Amino acid sequence: MLQVLFNGLVTGAILAPGAIGFTLMFGILRFPNFAIGAYITIGAFAILFFDQVAGWHIALAMLGGIAVTALVVWLTDLVVFRPMRQFPPISLLVVSIALSLILENVIRFIAGNDVRGFDIPLTRPVKLSGLMFTSEQLYLIALAVAAMFAMHAILKFTKLGKAMRATADNFTLAEVRGIDTDKVIAATWLIGGALAGLAGFLAGLDLVIEPLIGWHLTIPVFAAAILGGIGSPYGAMAGAVLVGLAEEMTALWFDPAYKVGVGFVIIAVLLLFRPQGLFGQPEIKK
Amino acid sequence: MKSAISRRRLLGTSAALTFTTALLPRLALGSAPISVGSLTPNTGGGGPFGPNITAAHKLVAEMANAKGGVLGREIALHQENSETNPETAIRAARKLVDVNKVIGVLGTWSSSVTLGIMPLCQEANVIQMCTSSSANIPLKDKKGLVFNFMVLSPIWGDALADLALRRGYKTYSVMALNNDFTKSMVDTFVDKVKAGGAKVSNDPFYYNGGQSSYRAEVSKLIADEPEAVFIPSYVTDFTSVYKELFRQGYEGKVITVSISTGSKFKKVVGAAADGILHGLPAPSLASAAYKDYLKFAGLKDTGAIQHPFGTAGHDQMSVLLLAMASAGTDDVAKVREHIHKISNGPGTAVTNVLDGLAALEAGEEINFSGASSDVDFKSPSGVLKSRDFVLWEIKDGKDVVIETIASAS
Repeated sequence: MLQVLFNGLVTGAILAPGAIGFTLMFGILRFPNFAIGAYITIGAFAILFFDQVAGWHIALAMLGGIAVTALVVWLTDLVVFRPMRQFPPISLLVVSIALSLILENVIRFIAGNDVRGFDIPLTRPVKLSGLMFTSEQLYLIALAVAAMFAMHAILKFTKLGKAMRATADNFTLAEVRGIDTDKVIAATWLIGGALAGLAGFLAGLDLVIEPLIGWHLTIPVFAAAILGGIGSPYGAMAGAVLVGLAEEMTALWFDPAYKVGVGFVIIAVLLLFRPQGLFGQPEIKK
Repeated sequence: MKSAISRRRLLGTSAALTFTTALLPRLALGSAPISVGSLTPNTGGGGPFGPNITAAHKLVAEMANAKGGVLGREIALHQENSETNPETAIRAARKLVDVNKVIGVLGTWSSSVTLGIMPLCQEANVIQMCTSSSANIPLKDKKGLVFNFMVLSPIWGDALADLALRRGYKTYSVMALNNDFTKSMVDTFVDKVKAGGAKVSNDPFYYNGGQSSYRAEVSKLIADEPEAVFIPSYVTDFTSVYKELFRQGYEGKVITVSISTGSKFKKVVGAAADGILHGLPAPSLASAAYKDYLKFAGLKDTGAIQHPFGTAGHDQMSVLLLAMASAGTDDVAKVREHIHKISNGPGTAVTNVLDGLAALEAGEEINFSGASSDVDFKSPSGVLKSRDFVLWEIKDGKDVVIETIASAS
């Protein structure tokens, strides 16, 4: 059982940065950005480029890839979403799906369809008191936890974080109170992009890098964000771990062919009983 | 009254016609092109192989067009990406059949795609040519319109189980990617190893591709510590699964299919790939057709198997065009008959479309042998009679041939 919990934690750690990025963007921009999967793919391939083509050390490659992803994600706002800012959320959702397909195919055009991986040798596990883990998995969890703390610190202790929270609570009121919402939006895209870049690194470590790597994570990331309460970064962290645990346990006790459906079942059941998610605030309608 | 056709317009039109006929010297003026569909897995699980199949279809069509086409008509190739996804493939096939009016849909790779588009192809009397191994394909092909350039998956399961038994493994555990390709392979493998006195310790199960983790599946697979595991799969999911097997400390033998263990897989997992046993129906390296293919595709003969599915794409388009030329029509019923005729012979042995067209033009009967296999079908079905099956073991990061066996379908 301890092993199952650990495995769930590893899966949750992979999903968490993407889920936080997704929920952060939703909180400020008020639409579910389905291009999150494509952003994760960009992150994985950007890091791969710095790792294998430029020959950088993997840590530097990760930072470079995260920066590139943040920049690309911000550019997608400038080119695609900013001109459509006044459009209803459903239109932006559809646009984000289209953007996802475009970005994925651009990557496919540049990098091809082959499977790839970072230049990190596979390691055998260490066994400790019945628990089996690898050094990669420890790094993976440590990076996800560090990202969570960094996100917490930004939201709680910085002026930008306070402005982000204010904008997420009430966009018009934040503007009236003198918050530069354009800057907040730009920061949201950049931070969301950086988190997607990190998710790309973590997924690339654990899985295989190919043009659909992010697409495969989109539903679990979405499920984690909804489970935690969409718009709530802390909820997304918890949601990611819960989705990870649910997936691991399902495959052990049921036919693994049904594992992919777990995310959907969680969303459906939760929305029935708690529409605002585990950590979300119920919307007050006046 | 002003003439409707001025002298200047007449001269201009004549010049344009002369120019057009000069560009297409041997294509009959006024004849509509013959439309052929190419539906290949350029992305998704078959992504590493689809582009080779697409390129091979295009290559053969261009070779034929450069020599004046077939039946004096240009071959118009309409290419679509199946994304290795039956839903996408059905939409693409619908377009090929209804809009492009193709005579055949060539190049499907995944069994689920080939089976998915079969009802609409059968309804529209359209020929299918594929490299899909599901044993359900000939059962569902009620009109004898499907020509499979790959042996069926029970043959794969049989060959791999035979190798495993000869290696002396006594306990096995089995899991597979959830699709039509793997199911009959798993059944055959399990039956054969059990008949050989070995034990399958788990209830074989299937996982879906494109998951965010394969940890639980791998834990379940190796829970009983089997001596060997059998994991038929595609390269995208197998790479993630194999990484997880290694990380969970499994040290037994891993047996799979070669489509999962290409050079990119080996690059991703590095030295950890050593020891994997795998097999695949493959081209005969010594055949004249395979050497022709390498030449046409601009590849060097490295002594290793290249383009296992691109060669089949070459053969598919060649067979279809030669059958039309042999039948003297693009009527599907006649073309179907002539596919059997030119593939199984008797006749002058030919290994490429140009030699075949030249022989047919000279009034000879032909027997086409392809780059992927001899391309002999079990008449009246489109099931391949035989194809070489090669078994490899990865040693020091390279595939080392254990043996090549001629497989019977």
